[in-house]
Amino acid sequence: MIELHLIILAIVVSFGFVFSYLAMKERDLLKALALSSVQSTFFALGFYILAAPDIVLAYLAIAVGAYTALVILAINKTERYEVGE
Amino acid sequence: MKKDVFVALSLLTAFLFISYAVTVRDVLGIAENPLRPLGEFYLSHAFAHEGLTSHSPEVVTAIVWNYRGFDTLFETFVFFLAIMGALSVLRLTREQGMEVRALEAREPHRHMDTITRTTTKLVVVMIVSISASIALHGHLTPGGGFQAGSAMAVATLLLFAAFSKFTLERQGLTLRHTISAYALGLAIILATVIAPVLLYGGKVLEIDLLPGETGLFNLDVGEYTAVTFGFLTVFLALGVPEWIFKLVLRREVK
Repeated sequence: MIELHLIILAIVVSFGFVFSYLAMKERDLLKALALSSVQSTFFALGFYILAAPDIVLAYLAIAVGAYTALVILAINKTERYEVGE
Repeated sequence: MKKDVFVALSLLTAFLFISYAVTVRDVLGIAENPLRPLGEFYLSHAFAHEGLTSHSPEVVTAIVWNYRGFDTLFETFVFFLAIMGALSVLRLTREQGMEVRALEAREPHRHMDTITRTTTKLVVVMIVSISASIALHGHLTPGGGFQAGSAMAVATLLLFAAFSKFTLERQGLTLRHTISAYALGLAIILATVIAPVLLYGGKVLEIDLLPGETGLFNLDVGEYTAVTFGFLTVFLALGVPEWIFKLVLRREVK
């Protein structure tokens, strides 16, 4: 009943979930960005297992490349460390 | 810290439970009805010899640009508005632009070491060829204009990182050129959408209006150009060093 690709999907998406949580808790914005792109890579693998290659192509390029670069440029214009509370 | 771990673990357990219930136990009843009538229509018509066909074995591209073409057209317009918004927030007058260029030319010339630069050159060639194959084969294999354009923008970003933005600007990749190329991409899209209406009559983005697969191919190429140079426009506008930007703007206030 349980198929192998569903188990792999669950594992991959759980890893993505863990990394998105770590990215939210990280105070250093550049480290948070790196964690967020690791999360995107896991989600892209998930999309591949779900047989959506079009989404994989767009998602990898946008989430790992373009989004990261835009946020690095934005961090460059403010400060690297998140302060608060 | 302990509370964080507890929250994370409980969310993860809830997520795994829900995915188990939906996929394996099928509580929502998705698996019982695998193909809806609309999906069946797309699958049977996208690559047929008669009827409402778009002559494309790639059903996703056929849906994106033909059956749901208006959605994608308006998405392109939204992207256009985003880029125009970024440009108008970061705009400079002609004198200010010249001043920024003069200040940037005085910046120390920085780039990474030989190993990184050589590797980047090789990788960029590979990414560019892959993105071209994604775009030009977009109507036959998975992919399309948007995916290829974003991959191409990433290739240029690698060059930005390894060789610095100033080197590329000196080689001719200036804001004026990227905006012109972006407008060219949009013009290809608009021409593909409007020209057949004027030539053959019929409605905008009507299915099977252009002969064969030319419609999808032209739209993919137009979107490829538009997305690549749209992203590059934003990166070039954002890439001006902050202190130079502040210096120029402060002078404006005084």
